[in-house]
Amino acid sequence: MFLYVVVYDTPSDKRRKKISDLLEGYGKRVQYSVFECVLDKDQFEELKFRLHKRIKSEEDSLRFYPLSSHTLGQVEIWGGPPLTSVPGSFIV
Amino acid sequence: MRTLYVSQQGCRLNLKQEFLQVQWRETLLQEVSLPLLEQVLVFGRSQVTTDAVRACLKRDIPIAFLSRLGYCYGRLIPIERGYRRLAHLQQSLPEEWRLRMAAQMVRAKLLNGRVLLMRQLRLRPTETGPLTLRSLEHLAEQALRTTSLEQLRGIEGAGAALYFPELGNCLQRPGFVLLTRTRRPPTNPVNAMLSFGYMVLWNHLLTLIELQDLDPYQGCLHAASERHAALVSDLLEEFRSPIVDSLMLWLVNTGVMNVEEDFEYHEGGCFLNDVGRKKYLKAFVQRMEGSIQTDEGEQPRWDLLTQQVKQIKKCIYNLEESYQPYRIR
Repeated sequence: MFLYVVVYDTPSDKRRKKISDLLEGYGKRVQYSVFECVLDKDQFEELKFRLHKRIKSEEDSLRFYPLSSHTLGQVEIWGGPPLTSVPGSFIV
Repeated sequence: MRTLYVSQQGCRLNLKQEFLQVQWRETLLQEVSLPLLEQVLVFGRSQVTTDAVRACLKRDIPIAFLSRLGYCYGRLIPIERGYRRLAHLQQSLPEEWRLRMAAQMVRAKLLNGRVLLMRQLRLRPTETGPLTLRSLEHLAEQALRTTSLEQLRGIEGAGAALYFPELGNCLQRPGFVLLTRTRRPPTNPVNAMLSFGYMVLWNHLLTLIELQDLDPYQGCLHAASERHAALVSDLLEEFRSPIVDSLMLWLVNTGVMNVEEDFEYHEGGCFLNDVGRKKYLKAFVQRMEGSIQTDEGEQPRWDLLTQQVKQIKKCIYNLEESYQPYRIR
């Protein structure tokens, strides 16, 4: 399990919507185009695979920063939502 | 293991982009992201839209439909997984091997029960305690020496007859009593909690077994039949005390459960009501997600179940290997 910080930039409104819709499913939006996702290896590969189909690499830019548990403890947050943690089960 | 439990009645699950939405009338109760979900358990009368079902099947997320009290009616499993590759191997397992496996399971069940009681009795000794502990240990030894399933089941029964009354002695709140284990139907709040707990755990194990492509109907200890997933019941044995019984004790002794408010009586039995069921599930999930020291370091309790299922699989591929059931340490 890693916490991935995913940031993106695209000039196309349509693609921006598609990218952000997909990322919503995998993590939490912490700034306009910054997501934090807690994922295992397979989920991360799946996310990249699916994102790949929704972008134009000539124009868009995506970055994935993995944070190990070692550096996770050193994250500083000034304002905004708290650091994303592993989501548990849900009871309704 | 991220599970969505829908225990409120009359909910609707629909798909929205990457999410399952749980709605009750016009209110959105919960949004769960699909890529992070592993299984869905629907208790009672809630609806799942075809879109939601399709999305789950596509993502290999099984959906189990259960009664409000945890009896599993059936489950949806994607067809793409292929069909029971391991089943042939399982069908040709030698009788001798099955008996050895069953003996290990019974022994672990007895010893786990013993450890649970021992810990309780250390805090509050009872008159019968020391004898019960000695007898359970003796029975556990006997289990390994049995030469037939009938003998083994006899030992298991003798163990249960000693274990449950002593477990009852560990209850410390007025109104909660356990003299013997009753089921179909459970007749008092303690038995209601045990029954519900075993059923929830049983269904989780069934799903895990299915996920590992094992045939749940090929068991060792329990009589195999077309209607009874015997392997699931086998695997349940070693986890009864450490998970369900100890959770019940905790719920009672810390006063989480209320004997007046959390139960209902009908059809000659006692059952958890809506409030009680939710309380129970919440505590169950918390416990299963809590971490525990295992051979592979800190792990959530869920992983213990998966580890055991994988071990069974390994033993089936290699009959020389001997099965090590889960033991409380």
